Amino acid sequence: MGTTVTHAPATESLSKDERSEPRHGPVDSPRPAALKRRGRRETLAGYLFMSPWIAGFLLLTAGPMIASLYFAFTDYNLFDPPKWIGLDNFSEMFADPRWRHSVQVTLWYVVVGTPLKLLAALGVALLLAQKRRGQAFYRAAFYAPSLIGASVSIAIVWKAIFSDDAVVDRTQKLFGVDVGGWSGDPDLIIYSLVALTVWQFGAPMVIFLAGLKQVPRELYEAAEVDGAGKLRRFWNITLPMISPVLFFNVLLETIHSFQIFSSAYIVGGGAGGNSCGPADGSMVYTCYLYVQGFENSRMGLASAMAWMLLVAVALVTAVLFWSQKRWVHYEEGA
Amino acid sequence: MQQNRNVERRTILKAAGASLAVAGLGATATACGGGSDSADGTVTIRYAWWGAEDRAEKIKKTIALFEKKYPKIKVKTDFQPYTDFWKKFNTQASGGNPPDVFQNAIGFLRKYDAKNVLLDLSEQVKAGNLSMEGFRAGLDKFGEIDGKLLGVPVGSNSMSLVIDQPVYTKAGVKPEQGWTWDDFDAAMKKIRDKTGRAGDSGMYGVMYLYDLYLRQNGKAFFTEDSLGFTEADLKQWWSKAEKGLEEGLYADPKKVAQIKPKSAVSAELAGGEFTWDNFTLRYSSEGKSEYRLAPIPTTDGKKTGQYLGSLMLSASKRTQHPKEVAQFIDFMVHEPEVAKIMGYDRGVPATQAQYDAFTPTDEVNKAIAAYEESLVEAGVLEPITPHPNGADICEAAFLRIGEELAMGKRSVDDAVKQFFTESKTALGS
Repeated sequence: MGTTVTHAPATESLSKDERSEPRHGPVDSPRPAALKRRGRRETLAGYLFMSPWIAGFLLLTAGPMIASLYFAFTDYNLFDPPKWIGLDNFSEMFADPRWRHSVQVTLWYVVVGTPLKLLAALGVALLLAQKRRGQAFYRAAFYAPSLIGASVSIAIVWKAIFSDDAVVDRTQKLFGVDVGGWSGDPDLIIYSLVALTVWQFGAPMVIFLAGLKQVPRELYEAAEVDGAGKLRRFWNITLPMISPVLFFNVLLETIHSFQIFSSAYIVGGGAGGNSCGPADGSMVYTCYLYVQGFENSRMGLASAMAWMLLVAVALVTAVLFWSQKRWVHYEEGA
Repeated sequence: MQQNRNVERRTILKAAGASLAVAGLGATATACGGGSDSADGTVTIRYAWWGAEDRAEKIKKTIALFEKKYPKIKVKTDFQPYTDFWKKFNTQASGGNPPDVFQNAIGFLRKYDAKNVLLDLSEQVKAGNLSMEGFRAGLDKFGEIDGKLLGVPVGSNSMSLVIDQPVYTKAGVKPEQGWTWDDFDAAMKKIRDKTGRAGDSGMYGVMYLYDLYLRQNGKAFFTEDSLGFTEADLKQWWSKAEKGLEEGLYADPKKVAQIKPKSAVSAELAGGEFTWDNFTLRYSSEGKSEYRLAPIPTTDGKKTGQYLGSLMLSASKRTQHPKEVAQFIDFMVHEPEVAKIMGYDRGVPATQAQYDAFTPTDEVNKAIAAYEESLVEAGVLEPITPHPNGADICEAAFLRIGEELAMGKRSVDDAVKQFFTESKTALGS
């Protein structure tokens, strides 16, 4: 074309045929009417295709969230119309020893369970990253528990494994430790929940695996030439190189841990028992929320608790994002 | 082969089309108004109850009988275990879609009446769709609250001490009507010493037993709108429990928690426990031993404080078919054939006609009948204690805090304080 080359050639200089061709690259306005019409049609089609999701979001997510925000400031027992009580739900919550207990249990679970789970995931990912026979099988086998992890049946099996005179109890007796089953002990039941979440390390493991694949071989070779040992290579090459993936996993797993419900509800209570474990031993936050909402019919209070949880998770997320400057290493241009 | 597959596919498509059409019709029927009337005047009512598989089998048979007699009424059932039942019911009822008729108990009458959920069945009695005649021992008044008929009893039961008979025999303990708490405590020690098993599974958390103990001493668990005892009373009850636990008279609470929902008696952790007399049936299907009924210990050698409890059928205020629901309840409480199927599963039948229709032949059912008769003969039965709105939450709190005490998570003083705090919130006083 001519001597003046711009990023977006002026439309006047194009032939009629070229004008109607779809183009890649930015186009300066004013656009011809035909293009405008096409654009509008495409936008419309786009919205049409998105509409199931948008409708679902408005009806099933945004609507209930707004309603629950309103309920959080009301006394609402599901039957009578909600009564505005301002911040009373929140002050009642902070004064309630059971609520404080549930916060403690949840924090303990997050602080102990999440790092253990990530350690397990990273450890197994390191093993599986090496080329060996049957690699695909091992990867699938280790990932399987996470696939079925959310299901109620696993939690029921877990309860059976950790109950009195079951596998765990008998095994620990072999080693001369007799503390009884874990699921009936208010101090031990939470450990069985941690064990359950650690066992379901598959999802972060797959992400770690992907991260490990991205680390350039040359770095290891260079380090080896310089005489760096295995530990040294892991510490100075692997960890910094996968730190973005690590950050992602820490973030996701922490949020997940805060939301633990079904496993705690089933291992702790099941049919006929206290929904939150023996003597509230496995009463995680969402469990108590459920009890207040559905057993005690205090939906207003439960909504307030749900929003408290949201704020807490948002805060923790913010802190994690803030901290990433110090330890997450991004490759230039990556 | 190919041909076959095509035919198959066509059949499947046709079937799918047909079911879509039916679903469409169903949707239209629901949309225009309420419920489930179809063109030929057939009415469908929903019936929800709590229990387990064995009860489900029996209830299915009774419904088949009902539908044969009333071909224009179809009954759809839905069941859950006890605690899950109320969670689901709460959700359905608050969403304006409760079952038309459902199993109910005394602790929930005031609660759901206050929430405007229960239908006053007295209108249907006046209209002649439901008879309140022929109930045993004043049970017809059982579901009446503030002049409204909110529930119709299907069966009566009474608190009792269910025992593992061989264990009691081995320990040489023979409980008799009128034995005292001192006798009971001595029996607990004997069982522990002679059989190596704990005597009881943890009576300190059973609200209904504590109610009897209070009634023996001129008080009660509830008044019309509040608690009928003081912190000092409860402190005395739970201090005794703490001592008994230390001495190994009661089963290890951790093990009891683990085997739930199985009972500690059928799991051979305890020689007996205080519960409703018809639970003997459940224990017999769960456990291997022989289970029998023993009387409630007394304070003065006479008064047990016992009353008849009852499962009821209640109707929803929002039902579109009050007449059919009333006919259903009427059939379920009066029809003799129903009693022959249900037996004592939901307690001893509430009406005389049903009571006469079922003659127990097996040992366990015979024992239940004999126990209920002995209560009438001994003349210990009294009117029931009121259950205020919020009673169900108090009961759950009593059980839970009792367990925390047993597991050493709370001191007696702390447990008593916590229970009173929670109850006051629940009862709104």
